Amino acid sequence: MTVAARPLSPLEPGAAPLQAKAKAADAPPVLKFEKVGFAYDGRTIMRDVSFAVGPGELVALLGPSGCGKTTILNMVAGFLRPTDGVAVVDGREIVGPGPDRGVVFQAAALFDWMTVAENIAFSLRCAGARKSERRAVAEEMAALVGLTGFEDAYPYQLSGGMRQRVGLARVLAAKPKVMLMDEPFSALDVQTRESLQEEVLRIRDRTGCTILFVTHAIDEAAFLGDRIFLLNDLKSGAYDTFDVDLPTPRALPENRLHPSFLRLRETIYRRMRH
Amino acid sequence: MSRTDERRERLRYVLVATLSPLAILALWAFAAARGWASPIILPPPSAIWASFLDMATNGYSGISLWTHVGASLARVSVAYVAGAALGVGLGLLRGRSRLIDALLLAPSELLRPIPPLGLIPLFILWFGVGETSKVLLIFLSVLLIMMVNAQAGVRACSLDSLRAAQSMGANRWQVFRFVVLPSALPQIMTGLRVAMGTALTILVASELLGGDRGLGFLILDASSFFRTTYVFAGVAVIGLIGLATDRGLAWAGRRIVHWEGRR
Repeated sequence: MTVAARPLSPLEPGAAPLQAKAKAADAPPVLKFEKVGFAYDGRTIMRDVSFAVGPGELVALLGPSGCGKTTILNMVAGFLRPTDGVAVVDGREIVGPGPDRGVVFQAAALFDWMTVAENIAFSLRCAGARKSERRAVAEEMAALVGLTGFEDAYPYQLSGGMRQRVGLARVLAAKPKVMLMDEPFSALDVQTRESLQEEVLRIRDRTGCTILFVTHAIDEAAFLGDRIFLLNDLKSGAYDTFDVDLPTPRALPENRLHPSFLRLRETIYRRMRH
Repeated sequence: MSRTDERRERLRYVLVATLSPLAILALWAFAAARGWASPIILPPPSAIWASFLDMATNGYSGISLWTHVGASLARVSVAYVAGAALGVGLGLLRGRSRLIDALLLAPSELLRPIPPLGLIPLFILWFGVGETSKVLLIFLSVLLIMMVNAQAGVRACSLDSLRAAQSMGANRWQVFRFVVLPSALPQIMTGLRVAMGTALTILVASELLGGDRGLGFLILDASSFFRTTYVFAGVAVIGLIGLATDRGLAWAGRRIVHWEGRR
């Protein structure tokens, strides 16, 4: 077992986008940033940020609050437009939000006036699917995230962890190319958080979805990510990349105590504190 | 909280809510019996009840009490429904479109602080003293209240839920229909209750304008003849209508916006 936690040097502005890991290396990237900059109110949030994410890859965006990680996510989601450079999904420039990129929000952002099933099938309703089809998909997705039996409950009747499961199922129902997760489990207790993290990995393995996962927790990034981008200084376009090498299936709880996990955690910790 | 606890809590609420008016009534009867106030100023509840029964059987000024009530209810419901529908529509549009908001800002905000009663002379001049003036006056007050509430309701919609809907493929109409409108409902329901109270107030005032029927007419007429017990009976009927409609709206609100306060 090789420990593959190797900090790379900060990416030079204009450098070629990083290649994804072996399995994704030959396939064209699903998601690509080319010298993306973003300024708001005359203040530069980031500039010259470039990276590429391969199909089925899970990239954790790690960094303290205010580092710009959510801004990256919002640009991929299409909520924000880059002020410089291009952001590309599936070969097309991102011009706005769309069901090919699903977002799981920190506070779930469920529709309180809809049942769990209606929340999950929302994308199908927007696309004009029949009621019977919506119900079938809702039940299938509810089963996938362990919510069978709660289809007709309202979100306010659920615990925080279950609400996030609805948030996951709702995104999965749209069959997105990319899933964007914005610190989705940060408000949950440790046990719930860990079981949801394992759930994310299982879902990724089943659906082959590409995932961008924003977090400020090193453990979460190291447990989930195939790669970790440590966003130190996006204002100059610099960030560190770490490859994560853990036994499969990744969702194994033992991976949280695996030497390679612990070593990576330490490396990132030192790097963050310097 | 267990189910039995909840039921006990609910029972206590109903009990206190019922006993409090009864206690006031008892105090009132006691004060009247002790002669603390002249019967012209504050007649005993029993005398008011007798006047009410008299009106209920013999009518007032040759017209049945139910015709008076019916005339008032007809005015208020037509004006209320129309005013609420248009007010909610305009408020939602203002909340969604900066242009429409700019268009309506000055006209509506100039109009809103004017007490509707201050408009009575103008309305008489324009529409006469008939039904039109009365209905339009109520309509206008309801419209302004509902517009403000619906617009504020649109603002209550969170950025995340808007974004969530967009990222699941909702178009502009779907975002409005499935996200913005439900988000605005709690505020709209509250507005409907406030507007009903105001509508009844304006109703009585507008019926002072003239005419020969309606609860406002009844009260004004009775007071000019010092028939205090009839004034009280008329006031009580309006009060009860207000109480009943408010409870009805509150009940409907709890059913429609079942998620409110439970997030």
